[in-house]
Amino acid sequence: MSKTLYWFQGSACGGDTFSLLGVELPNLCELLEMLDVEVLWQPSLSNGTPSQHHALLEAICHGEQKLDILCVEGAIVRGPGGTGMFDTMEGVPKKDLFARLAKVAGDVVAVGTCACFGGIGADGEIEATGLQFLKATPGGFLGSSYRSANGNVVVNLPGCPCHGDVIASTIATIAQKAPLPLTEWNSPVEWYDLLVHQGCVRNEYHEYRIEEREFGERGCLFFHLGCRGPVAYGPCNKILWNRRSSKTRVGLPCVGCTEPDFPQSHPFFQTPSIVDIPIELPDGVDRAHYLAYKGMAAAAAPDRLKQRKTRV
Amino acid sequence: MSVKTIVLHMNRVEGDLEVHVDVADGVVVDAWCKGTMYRGFEKILVGRGPLDGLVITPRICGICSTSHLLAAARALDDVFDVEPPPDAHRVRNVTLMTETVQSDIRHTVLMFAADLVNPAHRSDPHFEEAVRRFEPFRGESVVEVIRETKKILEIVAILGGQWPHSSFMVPGGIVSVPSSADLQRCLWLLRSFQSWYERQILGCSLERFAQIESVAELHAWLDESPRHQNSDFGFLLRAMRSMRLDEIGAGPGNYLSVGSLEMPNDTRIKAVQDSHFLEPAGFAQGTEVEAFEQESIREHVAHSWFMDYPGGRHPFDGETRPYATGAEGSKYSWAKAPRYADRVVETGPLAEAVMSGQSLIRDMLSQGPNAMVRQIARIIRPVRLIPAMYAWLEEARGDGHYYVKPKPLQNGRGFGLCHAPRGSLGHWVEITDGAISHYQIVTPTAWNASPRDSENRRGAMEEALIGTPVKEVDNPIDVYHVVRSFDPCLVCTVHTLRKPLNREWNGAA
Repeated sequence: MSKTLYWFQGSACGGDTFSLLGVELPNLCELLEMLDVEVLWQPSLSNGTPSQHHALLEAICHGEQKLDILCVEGAIVRGPGGTGMFDTMEGVPKKDLFARLAKVAGDVVAVGTCACFGGIGADGEIEATGLQFLKATPGGFLGSSYRSANGNVVVNLPGCPCHGDVIASTIATIAQKAPLPLTEWNSPVEWYDLLVHQGCVRNEYHEYRIEEREFGERGCLFFHLGCRGPVAYGPCNKILWNRRSSKTRVGLPCVGCTEPDFPQSHPFFQTPSIVDIPIELPDGVDRAHYLAYKGMAAAAAPDRLKQRKTRV
Repeated sequence: MSVKTIVLHMNRVEGDLEVHVDVADGVVVDAWCKGTMYRGFEKILVGRGPLDGLVITPRICGICSTSHLLAAARALDDVFDVEPPPDAHRVRNVTLMTETVQSDIRHTVLMFAADLVNPAHRSDPHFEEAVRRFEPFRGESVVEVIRETKKILEIVAILGGQWPHSSFMVPGGIVSVPSSADLQRCLWLLRSFQSWYERQILGCSLERFAQIESVAELHAWLDESPRHQNSDFGFLLRAMRSMRLDEIGAGPGNYLSVGSLEMPNDTRIKAVQDSHFLEPAGFAQGTEVEAFEQESIREHVAHSWFMDYPGGRHPFDGETRPYATGAEGSKYSWAKAPRYADRVVETGPLAEAVMSGQSLIRDMLSQGPNAMVRQIARIIRPVRLIPAMYAWLEEARGDGHYYVKPKPLQNGRGFGLCHAPRGSLGHWVEITDGAISHYQIVTPTAWNASPRDSENRRGAMEEALIGTPVKEVDNPIDVYHVVRSFDPCLVCTVHTLRKPLNREWNGAA
């Protein structure tokens, strides 16, 4: 029997939908067919009239139409003053509609940083929140104790947007009822247990501390230009974007878009530092040893790196 | 005469749009477009680092993130008074054009054409074929478009790291330094896309299509070959006529383009009338084009859920204080109402075709605007853009000069304009004491799906809906056609606050 999927958009830009459209093989249509997943509704792609949509929602919420996978793109809006009236459908706060869907959904997937942690609107007057986290604090809209009808926590797929392959693979895993080990942020270990730094073509520059101070140089972006690659978890440099590249590969500092506090409060493109040493070091390193190691590494740097001959 | 109000929460538009129409004697007699979502980007931007708009504003929209990035970067070019090197303009332009052509095709086939599959058209002779081509997730053209449009976006990834949501444009140019091989790979992707677009969408070469200069020549082209008749464009043309999309959705008849695609120095591409832009700026009543002045933009809030101010305000002087009244009173949308020189205007590919003097579209407009010509202007836009994309990719030098470092600055203001796939986009930014103190964005959908203004004049899409026939109140198909011909993108209804702030900042990175 087909699995069913409903795609809910809260306070969203649609970026995750377009990221999903970019999946290579299988492409979106083939994937749904292979997995025998029936899309009940996808707001950017589905046909069906507003009145049919209304009837579908009522059928789902009353248990007449089963809902196996509820994908949520965008944050849940609670403002102003907890009313949710900054984001409505036919005059009803969408947060109330989402609460009804979450009660009956077999599994819930938060797609993108806004749905996971609140994201762009988490500090704003719209009082946006993620489904089970508000930034790094557990709870969010549903609360820490929420479990889906199948007894699971919300699966978080952070990223702004989330990579399409990550979305497709997670839907496939859930549809096939395969094991899905999660990190402390309830994200699949498979995709989120590595740093954006892993696989960056500038790694050798990082290793020997050859730093980029101006855009367009060849060097590591971490020490001066605010790159979050050694701190943020995600597969950007493992699976690449649009099968081609990544931000850090083209010289654009990682903005840490998978992190619970994205967008960070300090200015982008600057590394907060004291006498040229970043205040925040690569995740988990011992500060004293790291600084000693970097000093020695800089002294050992080969000329081809110092002269920035090595391409990136 | 009994009047019935229909409320439609629209799908296959980007974001949340509700259309309310009053119907009497089988036609729409009044209409209201409601943006039902407020995202409050102002709290995010105000007080932040001066370059933060490059990271935050692309996240306004998942389908036009490169457009917001370019507008944000142009605004900062203006603030820092820095002119990017010509090759940086070339790369910026190519990425925007890439985003535009993918959007034109995805919108037409995935979002617009799905309405031809609506059961209301069941008795139309084109219905079965429409289902075969355009049924969501299954239609032959749908599958093709999903497969091919993602490939062209690889150009943005090669030049800018990823699509959507890159931030690779910065004041003074771009951060990347594409190599010759990078540019070559982009050319291959473009070549592959062009072949597909010619085969699947047009049914002929770009050169052949560009020769069509009038409605009569379009008819002759259609009769010329079964390849023309059976391409997606040829089929859409036949089906839209048969379903009478050329009889609905006129709109205000005023068009606005702010100008887009900065012409780089020493390019083989010729702009219309020596414009600084490949897509010239202009305001037109019908097809009579006048000069565009950004100073003539005003935004009204009389019918928008914001604290009132009298008349309209220029974006540099705009203020936005959300004020949710619910269904009471005269306010009904989270979109503001922008007006140009005190007129209701439409923006988008149709407006661009008027400004750039495209003969075919101008000839079609001589019969009056409608939903069909609006969509045709969109689906044939790549015919105009692809040749310039080749030129700029070929002219850019591998490992060349792509960035000029701006001088540090604590205070300043500027604006950046360009054409997003849906039409004219503007960012207005002010930096005070090294941080953003004011940020205002006027999006294409703010123009097109605008609510009424302080003079109680309807927005462009509201105006276009008047007179639309409604046979079934549960399924007002012609209303859908008219709305989707504007390609509305409601995720872009974002607004701003001005507030004093203090933050140290020491230069442009």
